[in-house]
Amino acid sequence: MSMRITTMMTSRTTLRDLNDDMGRMSKLQEQLSSGKRITRPSDDPYGASQALALHGQVDGLQQFQRSVADGTGWLNTCDTALGQMGDVLQRVRELVVQGSTDSAGPQARAAAADEIDQLVESVKQEANVRYGSRYVFSGTATDTPPYALGGADTYAGDNGTITREIGPGVQIPINVDVSGLLGDGQGAADGKLLDTLRSISDHLRGSTPADADALRTTDIQRLDANMDVLNGVRADIGARTNRLAVADSRLSALEGNATQLLSNTEDADVAKTIVDYSTQQAAYNAALRAGANIVQSSLLDFLH
Amino acid sequence: MPISSFMGLQTSLRGLLAQQEAMDTTGHNVANANTPGYSRQEAVLAPTQPFVVPANSVLTGAGAQLGTGVDVTTIRRIRDAFLDIQYRAQSTSLGDATARSNSLDQVELAFAEPGSDGLASQLSKFWDAWSDVANAPEDAGARGALVSSAQTLATSFQTLSSQLTTVAQQAQDEYDAITGPTGDVASWAKELAGLNTSIRDAVVRGQQPNDLMDRRDQLIDQLSSLAQVSVTDTGNSALKVDFGGVTLVDPTTPAGYSWPQTLTTPGGKLGALLDLASPAGAPLSFRSELDAVASDLVTSVNALHTATPFFDPAGTTAATISVVATQATVQTGSGAASGENDVAQAITALRGGTTDQLYGALVARVGVAVQANTRAESTAQSLVDAVDSRRQSISGVSLDEEMTNLIRFQRGYQASARTMTTLDDMLDTLINRTGRTGL
Repeated sequence: MSMRITTMMTSRTTLRDLNDDMGRMSKLQEQLSSGKRITRPSDDPYGASQALALHGQVDGLQQFQRSVADGTGWLNTCDTALGQMGDVLQRVRELVVQGSTDSAGPQARAAAADEIDQLVESVKQEANVRYGSRYVFSGTATDTPPYALGGADTYAGDNGTITREIGPGVQIPINVDVSGLLGDGQGAADGKLLDTLRSISDHLRGSTPADADALRTTDIQRLDANMDVLNGVRADIGARTNRLAVADSRLSALEGNATQLLSNTEDADVAKTIVDYSTQQAAYNAALRAGANIVQSSLLDFLH
Repeated sequence: MPISSFMGLQTSLRGLLAQQEAMDTTGHNVANANTPGYSRQEAVLAPTQPFVVPANSVLTGAGAQLGTGVDVTTIRRIRDAFLDIQYRAQSTSLGDATARSNSLDQVELAFAEPGSDGLASQLSKFWDAWSDVANAPEDAGARGALVSSAQTLATSFQTLSSQLTTVAQQAQDEYDAITGPTGDVASWAKELAGLNTSIRDAVVRGQQPNDLMDRRDQLIDQLSSLAQVSVTDTGNSALKVDFGGVTLVDPTTPAGYSWPQTLTTPGGKLGALLDLASPAGAPLSFRSELDAVASDLVTSVNALHTATPFFDPAGTTAATISVVATQATVQTGSGAASGENDVAQAITALRGGTTDQLYGALVARVGVAVQANTRAESTAQSLVDAVDSRRQSISGVSLDEEMTNLIRFQRGYQASARTMTTLDDMLDTLINRTGRTGL
């Protein structure tokens, strides 16, 4: 004998099927409205943990890009300041050349010496340049100005290195040891820029033939040597800026890849989801129609 | 031997009464077509004791038995006890899976992954904050932002931990409520004991207490979702019910039932609740895994942040993790110089390390647990549905069938009434018209 079908069985089966259809539709609707394939870990446990890792990776890459931008800004500040120093040095060289000729009188030399004293101050001012609130040339003692304006010529910073992390485990130094260029002044007699400038100023004020001699020979040589050092430092900064630019574009590419991978992992395929949703909706409508027809009629309708 | 002239009237009357009773039964079935737990009933018709015509009273000399009509011998309940056993076994599995589902759903929601409210995102923001500090170690603002981001992270750990504890506690509370003195088990056991008494009394009197038996079966069905049940007939249809390994209802004892007791093999919803509330259950074991994540974070950050601890070294669980560093004590570098950032960079490099990996693995395990349980629940649900469908097929009311029966019994009633009318006409002929020839 075939299975006996009772009234309650039919209505229960219809209701259960409608419920199942509705459940599947609401899942698809959730995927469509959130745009995500994974809204809970149980939707795809492995995918969910992968998505977490990728989110972390994307955040990390964005943070590296911020570090790169910060490092680039820092290096640009250094470069601009060193460029200004270069201009100052050109002016000093002109003054030295003019002052060392015999035609220049003592008064003109004294005036040149005064100008050089002022230029020393502007070199120190450039060395005290700040990026944000930080002195870029003080090593890691970024809250201390490296040189005291109107005071002693000694370097007040340290020779620590400041780095930016531009990739996992990749660090790039972004500061320049300016004491190697400017030195500690006449007291140290280190032949570096401040020492050189102070000597030039002294020699211009002095009126002996030995002073004029020194201007023509040792001073101009030391000045040129100092300029070479300055240009070397600027070239180094340029190289590092390039490295940061390369790192930046590489990080952007990596971020793009990771974002793409993340999207593949957790985003819903909208076209597919819409097709699935329509199919499901058709099934639901069919179930509704069938339910409406089946549950309604019975022998009662035909008895009089 | 002559037969009483009025005997046929009695036979017709029996027919009328029996058809009417059968129709009443049909009416009862139709009325209960949608009653949960109702089993359809059937009036069992059988011929009554025949009238014995003694020997030598008919022409051949042999005796005869003259039919005297019909009687309803019993009203039968149509039910398959074997399907009940199957249904209860599946219902126990479903009760287990459903209880687990409720808790695991809450656990999954508490994690709120993947999303911006989850711990993974808070951890990421924490590493971002360290990275900002590494880029601007002198900046008090960056350090302040770091401290508040760390505090948010610690709060997220604490909230998640307490949510997991709550889920376990809720399972325990629900278990206590169900098994308590005013809980479902106690009230159902008491009702079962009462039903056992009423059913036994009726059966002893020779009655068939169909509706009481339906109610009893329904109660046993309900019990079966809580724990494993098995039933034994102790005589006169009084049932002994074993529940979760102990005897819950025993008609041979004066009280008829015994509760509370400690279940030895719970199974079902109660077994699931006990498991969920135990330290080895899903919520608390996930909590201890979360503790491991918190402990890893505290240890690895503090190992680099050497001047003063960043996180309280004593708080190595998710519930106790706390930030002791302030804006002033955040350590950016190993030396004293304001621009040093090696410590901050080293901590930033922890991103994607063991803490993140441990947490990612934990989220995956939560997902797997929920997924596996959802599957188990849906399997158990289809098995219960299948058995219930079979049971409905046997015991459920089919309106088509009842309508057919109604017509059948109505015709039977009409025919019995017609027989009675014919007999009446016959008696009329005999009484009123016989012996009046020529009048």
